Amino acid sequence: MTDIANEQKPVVPAIPKGRSSGDTETIPVTQQTIQTLTKRVLELLFLLMFISTLLFFLLRLTGDPAAVLAGETGDQEQLELIRKQYGLDKPIIVQYGVFLYKMVQLDFGSSLANAQDALGLVFERLPTSFTLVIIAFTANLIVSIPLGAWLGSRPDRTGRKLAATAVFIAQGIPGYIIGLLLIQLFAVELRWLPSIGNQGILSWIMPAITLAAFQAPQVVRVISANVAEAMREDYIRTARANGAGFNTLLWRHALKNAMLGATALIGAQVSFLVGGSIITEVIFAWPGIGRLLVTSVQTLDFPVVQAAVFMIAIFVYFAITMTDIVFLFIDPRLRRQRA
Amino acid sequence: MTTATATDKPAPAFRFNKLGTGSFQLDLGILIFALVVLALLSQWLLLDSSDLDGNLTSRLKGPGFTGRDGIYHLLGTDQLGRDLLFRVLGGLPWSLGISGVAVVCVAVIGTFVGLIGAWYTGIIRTLVLLGIASMVAMPFLVLALVVVAVVGRGFWPISLTMGFIAWTAVARVIYAESRGLLTREYVLAARLFGVSKWSILIFHVLPGLRPTILVMAAFFFAVLLIIESALSFLGLGAPLNAPSWGNMLSDSRQYLVNAPWMMFVPAGAIVTSVISLNLIGDGFAELSRKRARAVEV
Repeated sequence: MTDIANEQKPVVPAIPKGRSSGDTETIPVTQQTIQTLTKRVLELLFLLMFISTLLFFLLRLTGDPAAVLAGETGDQEQLELIRKQYGLDKPIIVQYGVFLYKMVQLDFGSSLANAQDALGLVFERLPTSFTLVIIAFTANLIVSIPLGAWLGSRPDRTGRKLAATAVFIAQGIPGYIIGLLLIQLFAVELRWLPSIGNQGILSWIMPAITLAAFQAPQVVRVISANVAEAMREDYIRTARANGAGFNTLLWRHALKNAMLGATALIGAQVSFLVGGSIITEVIFAWPGIGRLLVTSVQTLDFPVVQAAVFMIAIFVYFAITMTDIVFLFIDPRLRRQRA
Repeated sequence: MTTATATDKPAPAFRFNKLGTGSFQLDLGILIFALVVLALLSQWLLLDSSDLDGNLTSRLKGPGFTGRDGIYHLLGTDQLGRDLLFRVLGGLPWSLGISGVAVVCVAVIGTFVGLIGAWYTGIIRTLVLLGIASMVAMPFLVLALVVVAVVGRGFWPISLTMGFIAWTAVARVIYAESRGLLTREYVLAARLFGVSKWSILIFHVLPGLRPTILVMAAFFFAVLLIIESALSFLGLGAPLNAPSWGNMLSDSRQYLVNAPWMMFVPAGAIVTSVISLNLIGDGFAELSRKRARAVEV
């Protein structure tokens, strides 16, 4: 994701001394990697600060947090005990300080449901969710990029028009409906695939497709639009005049350039995929962090909710930063920044 | 820039010609969406509150079933014998209403924050950009889930929560666009004339943002509709008895074998609304591209 501030620089940039050509200066990859990292870490800290503050005050604004923590069964004595235990009898500013101090140490307390360490519970579920998101992400790119390129290469042909319409309709179908349709077809009608839980390799198929379906149509459409635009550029005409075949033109020249515009979208994909993975995990009774989040939100198990939201934020940021840096190395054009 | 006065200031965004808007997608989208809205309005005429009650003798009956009480169920019934057509209609105020209120919040807050970030420099802009960049990365279903669980599950808590969470992507686009508009000569001229900050932003920059806002609003309406159903589907959206589409989908999961129509009816309603909104968004985008090209030539 490129910095918006740099895209729309209003003033004509001063041309650096000793440089005669162009208004851009290439910043070394290492330096830009460090810049990206610093920026992302700053954003992540800001986000975590915001989330914890939001949770802290929401919990206190909406009533007595002790009552929430005690659940429906808590009597007066229990409430007092919980207030003492969690320091809820102290002034709110002190509580906030203590709360933030604990957040910094990643100390979320223990689950209200079964007294297990909240962070431990989340870590237990993290690998399954992580793998599912990675599989869906990769599958999405493997299918969407060639499909988009194919659609964009000759957008005026009848077959492609029909395919583009199908992609447009698919974009209007939310992922969880696709998940239900898949269950209906493959688990209920055909009985080919197990519909719930993680029972071996077969049970990964439907959740991965469902999750990939959350964003695949959008990627296809962006790539196809970019490729269609790239195919009209002068360098394509030059390459064609030099005798390059259609396939070379499309896959080596047009697609490469079309990917630049899609980079930002692909980075943002991770966030959508994580959002989608919550629903996917609930549909397929998947033992991951999303389902943990939903069940703990339903039972108002706040320590676990906090730990899960924190880990999701950290995971998303990790993934986005990785995408940023990988694309920085793949695509030399991203290394350029206006001087 | 000799023609600056003619081309600099954006012309009126969309002109309605004789019939239709000039974009087939937009026409089709508006048509379908108008039908959806008509269905929304029709229920106050056609629907009694008793229509939503179930009749346990006609549970899980398929489309086109006539119950023992003589009621014809066009789209079938659910596990409590409630008519699915009536429930889908009754779900319209929940699904469209919640996402409609939310999309207004998103557009207003997003535009406001984007304009603020574009106008000010220094610490305010840095803070706005940092806030947008960090919030955009957070999947807003996660935040919405947590906030709704605390603030409650009524119509207004859900719609306002979604509105106050989802605006960041809009703010980011509006920011970039208005940075561009603020460098135009007519803005400079207005500043030289001593026009105040808010007048410039509201009367000179905002009209130029209209196409962008329309496109983003249409797409976000669709996204928020999906999120709203997702929340209900997870059991954390509309109250459990409310006929929201997400609730209906969630109910249908246990009856996929016996009564698949329980899934197809609300799924069809969601898909129709989302596609019509996507058509409208795409149509607006196409029209504004056409207009931009016409201005260039």
